[in-house]
Amino acid sequence: MSHRQNDPGRRGLDRRRFLTTAALGGATIVGASALGGLDADAAFAAPMPSLDPAISRSAFAEGRITQIKGSVLEVAGSHGDQHLIQLTNATSIWKLRTTTADQIQVGDGLYARGVDMPDGTIAADAVWVNIVNLYCTVKGIAKDRLHLAHGAQDHAVVGHIVADTTTASYLGGALTSDLSRVRIGQSAQILGAWRPADDAIDIARVTVGH
Amino acid sequence: MIPIVSDLAPLVCGLLLAVTGAGKLFGRRTAQLAANTVLVRVLNDGRRAGLALRAVGAAELAVAAALLAVPGTLLPGVATAVLGAGFTGYLGYARATAPESSCGCSAKAEGPIGVRSFARAGLVLLGGAAAATATDPWWTEAARRPGWSAAFAVAAALLLCAVSADLDHVWLLPLRRLRIRLFGNPLAGAADGPVPVAASVELLEQSVAWQAASPIVRSALLDHWDDEGWRVLRFAGVYEQAARGARPVNVLFALDLGASIDTTSSPAVRVSVIDDDTDEMVPVDLLAGMATRQVLPMAT
Repeated sequence: MSHRQNDPGRRGLDRRRFLTTAALGGATIVGASALGGLDADAAFAAPMPSLDPAISRSAFAEGRITQIKGSVLEVAGSHGDQHLIQLTNATSIWKLRTTTADQIQVGDGLYARGVDMPDGTIAADAVWVNIVNLYCTVKGIAKDRLHLAHGAQDHAVVGHIVADTTTASYLGGALTSDLSRVRIGQSAQILGAWRPADDAIDIARVTVGH
Repeated sequence: MIPIVSDLAPLVCGLLLAVTGAGKLFGRRTAQLAANTVLVRVLNDGRRAGLALRAVGAAELAVAAALLAVPGTLLPGVATAVLGAGFTGYLGYARATAPESSCGCSAKAEGPIGVRSFARAGLVLLGGAAAATATDPWWTEAARRPGWSAAFAVAAALLLCAVSADLDHVWLLPLRRLRIRLFGNPLAGAADGPVPVAASVELLEQSVAWQAASPIVRSALLDHWDDEGWRVLRFAGVYEQAARGARPVNVLFALDLGASIDTTSSPAVRVSVIDDDTDEMVPVDLLAGMATRQVLPMAT
């Protein structure tokens, strides 16, 4: 596979303009279903056999990144295993938000879904960097962060609110950037990106009241 | 030292040590608590760490009994100060070698060692020093100046609450709730912003368009941008054709920029599949297989 991710011609405004035109030229499909997605939550979905042959062939890897060689990530798994993750221009990269490969750093944690290659590497379809999914209690609310307590030990965790990125999910409503309905003392599920530097979390989504 | 402080210090320290000591010695969770402390590594054994924590609890209880029963003598105060110094040293060691470990200071489980842990240990040290200089028993002092004694006891209790995480739900959380009620929610005011990308993705993932395209889509969200009222979401995928084999494609979805599951229950999504190498539109009849993959009604 080629690595055109850093080619400005492939990512620039002209490219987007072209793709917009292409996207709007497509067929319109109307209606709702409940099949679910492949987005950040999917990194935590229980592995189960899929009816779709493309998905059932997927390989899965997790661990800490020990080295980055070009577009290959060396990953030390939590159970002593080693993975080589090949990024391509078709690999989606999530680090708090949809981003690019140059945002990945040595020391980051990683979940990856992809396809096993004959040379032992995994060609990644999707990579989630530093993703965490915590069940917490809200202990305090400030302008730019939530103070959270996590687990039976009530470990204090600071969840940073990131403008234009952090969303809240309330029962029966769409994801919204309005976090004002989060209450102190509430149980909350926090989906976010761990920050190795200060052990805090940047919140992608806080789910309350479900 | 000020008589009221030194004479009443045995009472305050005694009660504090009685509570924390009893919690450690008789607590059912002491062994579990010990497993999270640095004691495990020092003693090389979780069981011994539990026993050590219980032994410290017993020592605290003994010192508490002495402080309460025979105040005005030197020894209980000195013993308290030694305990406080020991706690401080232990915390310093644990903080330096295993900052994530629990301190195990009081009866309940708590998080990593922080400022409050050191403040508690320092207060025990200071309280012990004050108690050692007591001249009269605390009950004599309390009888002599009941008003001041009550005020001192309340102040000491507030101070201990402030440095103890166990009691946060009693005072700190209600205080924070009150602040939000009085001064407004610091997070208010973002209600009228644009629809977040996550909400567009949420709507997409509940659409028939997504269901129809899901056999082709392989990546998670790869890129997104807004253009003239549309939000375009780009995914990478693989399109397999019997004749031409598998080829990499871009799967593009275009949605109304303002749409979310709040505004529509039947999203209209434009879908197109673009060959990633040639940028040609790939003609795919996404709905071809949909009739055979109708979602069955849920039993309710």
